[in-house]
Amino acid sequence: MRKFLAIALVAAVSLAACRGGETATDDAGVKTDVGVTKEPCPEAIDKNKGCIYLGIISDLTEGPFKALAVPITDSQKAFWKRVNQQGGIGNYEVDVTKNIKDNKYNPQVHKEVFDQIKSNILALAQTLGSPTTAAILADLKSNNIVAAPASWTSAWAFEDVIIESGANYCIESMNALDYANDTYKPKSVLAIHYAGDYGDDAAAGAKIAAAKLGMTFSHVKTDSGGDKQAGAITEVVTKNPDLVILTVGPAETGAIIGQAAARGFKGRFIGTSPTFNPALLQSAAAPAIVALYEQSAPWNNWSTNSKGHQAMREALPGVTPSEGYTSGWVWSYPLRAALKKAVDNKDLTRAGLLAAVKSLDSVDYEGMLPTNAGNYKAGVAGQIKMTAIYKPDPKAPTGGVQVKDLYVGPTASSYTLDGPCFSKL
Amino acid sequence: MRGRPLLHTSYGSDMALFNTMSKKVAVGLLILVALALPFGLEDKWLSLLATCCVAAIGAIGLGLVTGYAGQVSLGHAFFFGIGAYTSAYISGDPDGRTLGLGQTNMLLWLPAAGLVALLFGVLVAPLATRLRGLYLAIVTLALVFIGQHVFGEWDALTGGTGVGRAPAKLELFGYDLAATDSIGTKDQKVFWVMALLLMVFALAARNIARSKVGRAFNAIRDRDIAAGVIGVNLARYKTVAFAISSFYAGCAGALLYTIVGFIEPGSFSLLLSVQYIAMVLIGGAGTISGAIAGAFFITLLPTITRELQPLVPFVSTEASKVPNIFQVETILYGLLIIGFLIFEPRGLFGLWIRIRAYWKSWPFSY
Amino acid sequence: MVDLIEAVVRGLGKGSVYALLALGFVIIFKATRVISFAQPAFMLAGVVMVSYFVGPLGFWGALVAAMVLTGLLALGVERTAVRPMIGRPAFVVAIITLGVDVAVRVVVVAFIGLNVRQVGDPWGLKTHDLGVITVYERDVASFAVTAVLVAALFAYFRYTRMGLAMRAASYDQEAALAQGVSVGSVFALSWAMAGGLAAVAGTFAAAGESVDGLMWLIALTALPVIILGGLDSLAGAVIGGLIVGVLQEIVANYQSAMPWLGGNVSIITPYVVMLLVLLVRPYGLFGTREVERV
Repeated sequence: MRKFLAIALVAAVSLAACRGGETATDDAGVKTDVGVTKEPCPEAIDKNKGCIYLGIISDLTEGPFKALAVPITDSQKAFWKRVNQQGGIGNYEVDVTKNIKDNKYNPQVHKEVFDQIKSNILALAQTLGSPTTAAILADLKSNNIVAAPASWTSAWAFEDVIIESGANYCIESMNALDYANDTYKPKSVLAIHYAGDYGDDAAAGAKIAAAKLGMTFSHVKTDSGGDKQAGAITEVVTKNPDLVILTVGPAETGAIIGQAAARGFKGRFIGTSPTFNPALLQSAAAPAIVALYEQSAPWNNWSTNSKGHQAMREALPGVTPSEGYTSGWVWSYPLRAALKKAVDNKDLTRAGLLAAVKSLDSVDYEGMLPTNAGNYKAGVAGQIKMTAIYKPDPKAPTGGVQVKDLYVGPTASSYTLDGPCFSKL
Repeated sequence: MRGRPLLHTSYGSDMALFNTMSKKVAVGLLILVALALPFGLEDKWLSLLATCCVAAIGAIGLGLVTGYAGQVSLGHAFFFGIGAYTSAYISGDPDGRTLGLGQTNMLLWLPAAGLVALLFGVLVAPLATRLRGLYLAIVTLALVFIGQHVFGEWDALTGGTGVGRAPAKLELFGYDLAATDSIGTKDQKVFWVMALLLMVFALAARNIARSKVGRAFNAIRDRDIAAGVIGVNLARYKTVAFAISSFYAGCAGALLYTIVGFIEPGSFSLLLSVQYIAMVLIGGAGTISGAIAGAFFITLLPTITRELQPLVPFVSTEASKVPNIFQVETILYGLLIIGFLIFEPRGLFGLWIRIRAYWKSWPFSY
Repeated sequence: MVDLIEAVVRGLGKGSVYALLALGFVIIFKATRVISFAQPAFMLAGVVMVSYFVGPLGFWGALVAAMVLTGLLALGVERTAVRPMIGRPAFVVAIITLGVDVAVRVVVVAFIGLNVRQVGDPWGLKTHDLGVITVYERDVASFAVTAVLVAALFAYFRYTRMGLAMRAASYDQEAALAQGVSVGSVFALSWAMAGGLAAVAGTFAAAGESVDGLMWLIALTALPVIILGGLDSLAGAVIGGLIVGVLQEIVANYQSAMPWLGGNVSIITPYVVMLLVLLVRPYGLFGTREVERV
C-alpha cells in the first residue's frame, strides 16, 4: 500500500513539472514576454534574428467576406515578408504565417480560435469583422494585446488596443451622403444593413447626415445570403427612396440591386467597401450595378500611383487584382510603426507595444493615406475622416474607377464622435 | 460471492449501478484521474477537456431521448440555445447592451436554464408524440430553424445575428469559479467543476435508465405500439423523455458557453444538432458511457486533425490552397460518421465490447 | 392587388425549385424508405457543374450534362454509402446521408473557389410585362421546365416497365422481388433521378443570381415541403413545393407591415406552415398513414 502511495506521489510531482508556464526573458536589452522568441522564424531570411509572432484571424472559408479576406491575408503575408527583406524590426523578423485561423465570420468561432493562438502571439496583425472583434475585445484589453482590425466601425476610435486605419463606416456614410447631396440631391435615404457593429454603424452615420441635410431616413436590417433579401428588395421597391446606402456583403448587393432594378427601381445605391466584389460585374445584376451603384472607400484603390501602392503591386506579382490586397497592405503600416517604436524603447512586451501604440502621433503609410492619419496619441480627435468615391467599371483591374478623391464632407468634419455610432441608430 | 462476480444473490445487487468489482474500480480510477489531470496538463488541454465534459452532458440528454427512447430528435440545438440564453439572461449585466438580471449565482441560473428548457420540451412533446420516425425528425428540425429565427431577431436578449452577447458567469455565492487564484488557474477550476457536474448528470442518467422510466423508454424504442398494448403510457413517457433530454440540453447549453465565452445566435443551428446526433451514434446509441465516449471523440476531433497535420504535409494550412486543413476537418467529420455507422453500428461502445469480449475469453477468443 | 399577383408568380417560380428538390427526396423515400440528406450536396454539385460547362456547351447543354453527371454521382454515393446499409433503421441511414452531404459539399465548395460563379442562364433578371403585371422571365421558365419534368416523370411511372417496377417496389419490396423486379436497380435508379432533379433545381435557383457555397440552405427548405405534402406522395411534393414557394413570397412581400415578427420571417414560413398542417394531418396533405404490424 505504501509503495503504491509513493509511486503515485512521484508521478504527481513529475506530472506537475510537465505544466509549462510563462516566462519573461531579456535579450540584448529588449524586454519581451509573449510571442517573441530568440529562435529565428520558420521562414527566416536572416537566421540570426529572433522572431516576433503575430496572429491573423480572418474569414477564410465560409463567411460572406471570404472573397476579400483571403487577399487581405495574402497581402499581409507579402507585407511582412517585405519588412523582413528590408531587415526586419531591430533584431527580429516578423512571422504572420504560423498563427492564421479561420473565423467563419462568427463571433463565437472567432473567440474560440483566438483562445487557441493567444498564448503564441505578441499581437494580432489582423482580426476580421466588427462584431467578431467585439467578442474578443475584453480579452484583448485585459491581456494588453494590440490588434489591427480588418473593419472600420466607430467603436475602435475609443479602444487603445485597436489600431485601426481609415475612416470608420459612420463617417464614411456621412461623406457618402454629402457627396450624394452635391451630385444628385436625394430627398429620401434608405439604409440596408447587416445587424451589429458593421451594418448599424454605417446606418447610424447615414441617419445623422440625413437629419443634418434634411433628408428623410429609414433603415431595414437584413441577413447574409443572396436568397434572404426578399424583404429588403420589397422595402426598396415600395418605399422608392432616392438613395440607398448598402452595408452588406457582395452576394446581397448583387441580389438587392439586380432585383430592385428589374422591378423598376431607378434610385441610386452607395455601398461601403466590403459590399463590392468585381465578380459581381459578371453576374446578371451587372448592368444594374454599373448604372446605379457607387462605392465609398477609405483609401484609393489598387491602381493608384503612390509609393505604397507600387510596393504592394511589386510584392504581389501575378495575382488577380482585388481591393482586399490594398486593404491588407494599408492595415499593416501602423503595426510596423508601433513595433519599430517598441523596439526603439527596448520594450517588446505586450504592455510595451501598447504604450508604443499610444505614443504614435503619425504613421508612414508610404502615400496610401495622408500623413495626418495614424494619430493614435490624440485618440478620438485624431481620427481620419476622409473618403473616396468609386464607380464600377468592368474594364478596371479591380472593377472600379475613381469618381472623387479622398475628401472630408461638411457633415463629417463638423461631427464630433462621442461614442460608437451604432448605438445611435 | 468471492470469485463469482456475476452471481447475484439479491435483486438489489443485480440492479446496482456498480454491480461488479471491475466497474467499481474503473469508476474509482476515473474519479482519481479527473482529480489529478489538472496538475499534469496544460491549460489549453484542460479547457478542451472541460468542453468535452459539457458536451457529454448534452450527449447524454440526447442519448436518453434518441438512444433509449427511440424518439429521433434533431432539435437538440434549440434546447441548448434556450438554456444558454436563460442562464445568460439571469446572470447578465443589467446595464449592458442586452437584457440581464444580474444574478450570477450558479445555483440559480443552472437549474433555471434546465427548467426553462424542460418547459419548452414539455410544450413540444404533444406534437412529437403524434409523430414517429422521420416525420418526428423533420418536425424537430423545424424547431431549430424557428428557434434560430427567434434568437436572431430578439436583439434585446441575444444581441442579434452576427453580434451575440456574453454568457453566464461561473460564480457560486460570490466566489468566482472561473478566476485564477490560489486554488488553481481558471482552466483547472473550470475543469474540476465540469467534471464534477458530468459525474452527477451521468449518474442521474444511469439511474433513470435502470428504473421503471428507463424500461418504459426501451419498450417504446423497440416497438411502441406493442408497448402501448402492454400498458406503457406512450404519451406520458414520450413527454418525460423529451422533458429530461431538454433539461440536460438546457444545462449543457448554459455551461458550454461559459467556457466558450461568447454566444452568437447562429451557433444553435442544424450543424449543432447533427454534431450531437453524431456523438450519440458514434459513441453507441442506447448507452450512457457510449454517449460520453462519443462526446469526447467528436469534441477532440478538430484538435486531433490539427495535430496530425504535420504528418500529412500535402494538406496545407492556408485556406486558399486545396486540400487544406479546414476542408480535411470537415470531410473527416462526415467520413467518420459514415464509417462508424457502416462498420461498427454499435459505435465506440461496440468497439469496447468487442475488445473486452476478445480479452475475456483469451486465449480462446475466436 | 398587382403586388399580390406578382408575388404569386415569383412564388411559383421559387416553388418550382422546391418542388423539384422535394420530388427527389420523395422518389428516394418511396423506393428505399429513407430520407436522403445528401440532396443539398447534389444540388450544389449540379449547379457548380453547370457553371463550369456553360462555357463550352451553352446553357441547355450544360444543364443536360450536369443532370447526367450528378445522377452518376448520386449513383456512386448510393452504391458505396447506402447499399451496405440495407436493413438498418431508416434513421441511421439518414444520418449516413448527412455525412455524405458534409463530405461532398466540402469538395464542391472547393471547386467554387473564392469568387461566386455564374450559371449563364438566358433569362437573368429580365422581366416581361403582362399588362400591369411585371413577371420575371426566369420564374416563368422555371415553372415551365418543372412542369415538363413533372409530366415526364408521371408518364414514366405510368407507362414504362421500369416505372411500373419502381412503383411496385415502393409498395412492397418483397413482393416485387418475388415478381422478378430487380429492387437493387430500383434503388440505384431512384437515387440517380433524385440527383438529376437536384441539379436542375439548383440551376434554376441560381438563375439570375450567383452560385456560392451557401446555396445548399435552399435545399433544406425542401424538407418541410415533403412533410407538408406527405413523405410518400409525388403529387404532394409538387403541390407542397408550389404552396410553400407562393406563401414564402407573399409573406416576404408583406412582412415589413409586421415588424414585430422580426425581419425576414419569410425564411421560417415553410416550417410554420408545416407545423400547422401537421397538427391537423399528421401524415401530410397527401401522405398515407403508416400501417405497422406489431
